[in-house]
Amino acid sequence: MVGFTAGLLDAAVRASTVFIFAALGEIISERGGVLNLGVEGMMLVGALGGFATTAVTGNYWLGFLVGMALGTLLALVHAFLCITLKSSQVISGIMLTLLGTGLTTFFGAAWVDRSIDGFPQMTLPLVGQYLVEIPIVGEALFRSTAPDFIALALVPIVWWFLFRTNLGLEVIAVGEDPETADTMGVDVFKMRYLCVLLGGAFAGAAGAHLSLAFSQLWATGMTAGRGWIAVALVIFAQWRPERALVGAYIFGLLDALQLRSQGIDLALDAATPLAGVVNPVLELLMHPTIMSTYPYLATILVLVVTVVRFDEAGLGAPSALLEPYSRETD
Amino acid sequence: MNVSVELSARKDVPRWLAVGTPVFTVLGALALSAVALVALSVDPIAAYNTMFVETLTDPFGLRQTATRTVPLVLTGLAVYLPLRAGLWNVGAEGQLYMGAIAGTWIGLNVSLPMVALIPLAVLGAAVAGGLWAGIPGYLKAKWDVNEIITTLLLTFVATQIASYLVRGPMQGGSGNFPGSDLLPDAAQFPAIPLLDVHAGFLVGLLAVAATAVLLARTRAGFEVTFVGSNPLAGVQAGMSTFRVYLFVFLVGGAFAGIAGFNEISGVQERLIPEFSPGYGFTAIPIALLGRNGAVRVLLAAAFFALLFVGGSKLEVAYGVPAALVDVIQALVILFLITAEFVKRYRVDVELGREPAAGPAGEA
Repeated sequence: MVGFTAGLLDAAVRASTVFIFAALGEIISERGGVLNLGVEGMMLVGALGGFATTAVTGNYWLGFLVGMALGTLLALVHAFLCITLKSSQVISGIMLTLLGTGLTTFFGAAWVDRSIDGFPQMTLPLVGQYLVEIPIVGEALFRSTAPDFIALALVPIVWWFLFRTNLGLEVIAVGEDPETADTMGVDVFKMRYLCVLLGGAFAGAAGAHLSLAFSQLWATGMTAGRGWIAVALVIFAQWRPERALVGAYIFGLLDALQLRSQGIDLALDAATPLAGVVNPVLELLMHPTIMSTYPYLATILVLVVTVVRFDEAGLGAPSALLEPYSRETD
Repeated sequence: MNVSVELSARKDVPRWLAVGTPVFTVLGALALSAVALVALSVDPIAAYNTMFVETLTDPFGLRQTATRTVPLVLTGLAVYLPLRAGLWNVGAEGQLYMGAIAGTWIGLNVSLPMVALIPLAVLGAAVAGGLWAGIPGYLKAKWDVNEIITTLLLTFVATQIASYLVRGPMQGGSGNFPGSDLLPDAAQFPAIPLLDVHAGFLVGLLAVAATAVLLARTRAGFEVTFVGSNPLAGVQAGMSTFRVYLFVFLVGGAFAGIAGFNEISGVQERLIPEFSPGYGFTAIPIALLGRNGAVRVLLAAAFFALLFVGGSKLEVAYGVPAALVDVIQALVILFLITAEFVKRYRVDVELGREPAAGPAGEA
């Protein structure tokens, strides 16, 4: 059981990284007042771009950077449409997801059966070899790939950036009350561009992590809705990085459970009363295909519980989210 | 060099701009997609000739385009109706699968003559699709849970359920391939005489007419449009946003569900996993292009059906992935929202002029 728990935790931590990257990026973007529903598309573009670059050059760090750059590029389109042209953030985001899906299916066909040497497992320098000795959680937390460590490190960094630096406070001001922020001398447009582009870079990193470290292959539509789960995660996290980490672990655990469920046998002894009813139900619920729906169902459940528990003010959504900003020009 | 850009809101839209917008956006999207074709070293002009001219001048191509229009117009309406109420149904794809499952199950397990069996299966598909969309509809109406996320996530659930069923309880045939048994003849849409397009086409046209009448002539339709343009005013006028929101999702989901059964009954003849090439997602650009009326939804659906048919022709002729169609459809909408901006504002660009001294950070 200890071995199973440690293995499950290890898988959960590895599966959570993609949610950490994507949710942190979405938090920054939404804190600045721009909803980004294009995450899924940006992740796919990042995953394919990173994979192709690594397959050609053999350099996974270069691949990771290219993935981030491509995510940023797609985010630039979103920023231009939503901030400069004041278009609907919802339409632009959904269409960018469709565009990213289409582009990666189109250009990705050639890369489907390729293999790469992605990010290797590593331990932290100096202290790492002792940390992995910690029972149960040691291996899970401290033997990972470089992007896993980066994602973990980004949680406090983004928190510090948003709540403890002038730039971060300007981001929040722009997302809460752009008129006042403008009066105080904050460049609303520049600030929002910065947020959306950072969000795109994070989404690209999430995708690149998926193809370069997590699965080390490219498959069409490999993000499988994780970008959308990240969008929901941000609501659950109430736009706070540290809560997004908790949410990312929950969904990472669900992802991992589904992959590792084959070893679990919960069936009742045939002699037990009700076994005839309970066992087929259990069998259905533990079927791998059915289990693969749990992360989506859990997301919906979590979303409902979060929204029902807090009224609109208590939830803490940035007040100017979805509102384009126009400056009086005269 | 200094570039000065001035924006001013237009008072009225020039006629050439209003009429030309859809045409320009489509041409713009095709031009940009040509870059993708060139990247795969395919001559774009020859490719587009294959896609459009050859498809439209060939009876087989026309028939296929009509057949493809059916699921697209029905899922298009499934997105369009909630959109009229200001809501987003991004999950028509999932509702389509639930309808396909229910309709196929009825077709396989109920024995009735065709005149009764097909309507029953269509009804079952409508109920399944409607209820599936009703979940996010209820959550939105009751607790204001974001319907974009819930409709989309339920799509993944629906496709997994279909995938489970055709490999498990509903698997038929010799058992080696995932898929249900063949539908009996009584559950398969007959072909319309002369046109040689399955009768599900008529169901699609009927749905367009019903939606147009609903929105233009009924109280429910009026409430949908009213709440969509101003929910607060709707509430003050005594309308219930709860009822409107639930209504548009139930009816929209029903359309998508019917689309699923139509596709199985008229084209596939059995339930198979991943039978839809993303009809429910293409429905989003279709509803956006046709957002001014149900008939425009039909036109947009026909256009995207042509893209689908031409795209698979392209795949055969040049080995180009059919996903080019997905790229084109997303670009059409991105250009369209850019064009909306040009419609709303005059953009004057002047080069080489000193910018007026203003507060720091003018963007």
